[in-house]
Amino acid sequence: MMDVKRIISKIERDYIVSNLKKEERIDNRDLWEYRKFQVKSDTIASAEGSADVSLGDTRIITGLKYDVGVPFPDLPDEGVCTVMAELLPLASPLFERGPPDEQSIELARVVDRGIRHADCVQTKKLCIKEKEAVYILFVDMYVINYGGNLIDAGGVSALSTLISAHIPEGIWNEEKHETEWTGKYLTGKSLVKELPLILTYGKIEDIVFLDPNLPEELVCDGKISISVTEDKITSIQKSGAATFTIDEIKMLGSKSLEIGKKLRKELNPLQYISKIE
Amino acid sequence: MEQDEESVDDEFEDFEDDEEAIRDVVVPGEVLTEDVKNFLPGRGTILNKEKNKIISLNIGLKQIKKNYINVIPLRGFYTPRPGDKVMALVVDKNPVKYKCDINAKDFGQLKPKNTIKSGRTRGFRGGGPPQDDVNTEKFDIGDILVAKILSADRLNKPELTTVGKYLGKKTGGIIISIDPPKIPRVIGRNGSMIKMLKNLTKCNIFVTQNGRVWLKGENIAHERLLIESINKISSEAHTVGLTDRMQEYIINEKKKRGIE
Amino acid sequence: MPLIIKDEYPETLFRKDGKRLDGRDVNELRPIKMEVGVIKNADGSAYLEWGNNKIFAAVYGPREVHPHHLAKPDRGILRVFYRMATYSVFDRKRPAPGRREKEISMIISDCIEPLLFLELYPGTSFEIFIEVMDADGGTRCASTTVAALALADAGIPMKSLVSSIAVGKIDGKIVVDLSGIEDKAGNADLPIAITWYNEELSLLQFDGDMNLDELNDFLDIAKNALKDIHQIQLDALKSKYVKLQEETNKSKGKNEKKGDE
Repeated sequence: MMDVKRIISKIERDYIVSNLKKEERIDNRDLWEYRKFQVKSDTIASAEGSADVSLGDTRIITGLKYDVGVPFPDLPDEGVCTVMAELLPLASPLFERGPPDEQSIELARVVDRGIRHADCVQTKKLCIKEKEAVYILFVDMYVINYGGNLIDAGGVSALSTLISAHIPEGIWNEEKHETEWTGKYLTGKSLVKELPLILTYGKIEDIVFLDPNLPEELVCDGKISISVTEDKITSIQKSGAATFTIDEIKMLGSKSLEIGKKLRKELNPLQYISKIE
Repeated sequence: MEQDEESVDDEFEDFEDDEEAIRDVVVPGEVLTEDVKNFLPGRGTILNKEKNKIISLNIGLKQIKKNYINVIPLRGFYTPRPGDKVMALVVDKNPVKYKCDINAKDFGQLKPKNTIKSGRTRGFRGGGPPQDDVNTEKFDIGDILVAKILSADRLNKPELTTVGKYLGKKTGGIIISIDPPKIPRVIGRNGSMIKMLKNLTKCNIFVTQNGRVWLKGENIAHERLLIESINKISSEAHTVGLTDRMQEYIINEKKKRGIE
Repeated sequence: MPLIIKDEYPETLFRKDGKRLDGRDVNELRPIKMEVGVIKNADGSAYLEWGNNKIFAAVYGPREVHPHHLAKPDRGILRVFYRMATYSVFDRKRPAPGRREKEISMIISDCIEPLLFLELYPGTSFEIFIEVMDADGGTRCASTTVAALALADAGIPMKSLVSSIAVGKIDGKIVVDLSGIEDKAGNADLPIAITWYNEELSLLQFDGDMNLDELNDFLDIAKNALKDIHQIQLDALKSKYVKLQEETNKSKGKNEKKGDE
């Protein structure tokens, strides 16, 4: 495809739309097919868990850092997990330097909500001492190459990172009033329960399709991201100017659960559990 | 609109001659020769400070032509030259000019006087018979134009025209981008590669110097095969016997995919 | 806020058998792996693994300058942005660029600028983005090395490559290629870069203490190590092309034989 600038040519738009109407895509996928996922876990030695995820041309590297802090007063026995995303200017001529823009905040928020509402991270296990000390987890996503559909790649990347976690286990020392290290590690085995996946669909005119690639994402009217666990829908985000009919949403709901199940089996994210005890 | 096969020959002379010989891949700073008496630094090379070595400035292929040593780049950006045909994307317009992305460091400028329809004149200042329809072509943002570069230098923005044979707005088809230095290879010696691609994939192809290729075929299967072939040409541009290998590849792929 | 494990330094930086903590000799480099063309969207890109350092570099340009007032009418400008990922270091780094990152960006920019013909591209900019994903000592040297590779991959005319390495003194002994621990706990650290077209130094910093003899030793040892690094750079740039040339030549040879029979 043509190198992508901010304005996409009419030719390209017409080409994509007319082929989508015939259920054809230039990269030889059908409408409900993902590009190839590639996951490598624990690639960053300095991080307490990491994943390098490619979805077609899109590539995201995510790392996990931890800190010990005081819990929120309303949740005294629960740890915190925050998600941050950065669209590096090295990843695309469309990304600019500077503080996070809307697109990167949306990416972080949608991934965060997908994980938060799915009973994925066992925040109670992140508590060292009630009201005194809990773990704060930082899941930081860096986009290395932008080839469309950052949200799905980010979702897999954040999930694999959390599963590959190996955080030093701490216990509370009453006398010294501080946290001490036991020499053991908390791993994804105890930290992660449900495995949420986010599925993003693009919409152009009245055609809906899974996993928009970069030219498709740039010409599409809008997108909808649905995150699902094994049997539940846990969050939905519609973005862009497109509108969806109620029937479409119903259809996408059941499609997401079905595709999600298949994808979860294919990715088998639990294989990335850290071997460190 | 067909590619003018005759006109491309002398524009792209780089890769063509002695296609059969394997050339050395050189990188920036690599010494090409220390024999400065018999050789002169050509394109992509300089004399070093002590003037006793010729060194390469690019990653490319070493070529000796008469007593010049050149480096044919394998990677690089497009630099506009007057007379080049380019595929331009209209990104902005106002009453006095269109701003066009031509895959170069500067945007190309297309003034209305350079878009006069064929067989018409622009009219005279201060009068002339009033005409109902306009004589100049009207373009919109997002249009793809095939344009010719009228003037280009280091300091001024390149000026374009759409008046001429094969020039003007493109409709239908799809455009792909490859490295501009590899465009000559898509055309081949005397247009051999492009003719072969056209015949075997039954697609229309139009290639311009700024690294853009427009193509349109009977169906998406043919177009897909052609796009993959062009990308393959681009990644193997520095190898020998490419046209034959590509022909074999396309015939095999067509059998594999079951397309005519 | 306290991390559970504190970042601590060992008392001695040599093992009992005289080798360094990671098993290297005094003049041995860590394993280095380089690759070009890893970021498809960029005009040129490179990736480097140097010990535990993992660094990406991407080049965009020549292109319009943003913000516009930075453009120079008579020459192009080179801008380098060195950044570290939050998880690349022991304590989580704050996401916003700090003073250290800005200083290193400037040093790398100054180091690379003499290689380019910026006067040929007035009013435009070349931008190099360097992203350190994992850091373990010597990131400024590794970043300089990988930035040069990305520039060459972009096909931007340049006089030569530039290679860089850190030489240092730990426990009184001169060693090359300081690792993270050696960098922090050692006595002296001398990052150095060489431009190969004139074999002159274009990056030089020093922290620590040394006498005049040691300075001479430092520079001699560095020169040898830099030659090795330059060779790895050349291989990384060429291998992709040469491999294809050899493969296609082999298959062509086969076909010809068939024809003869």
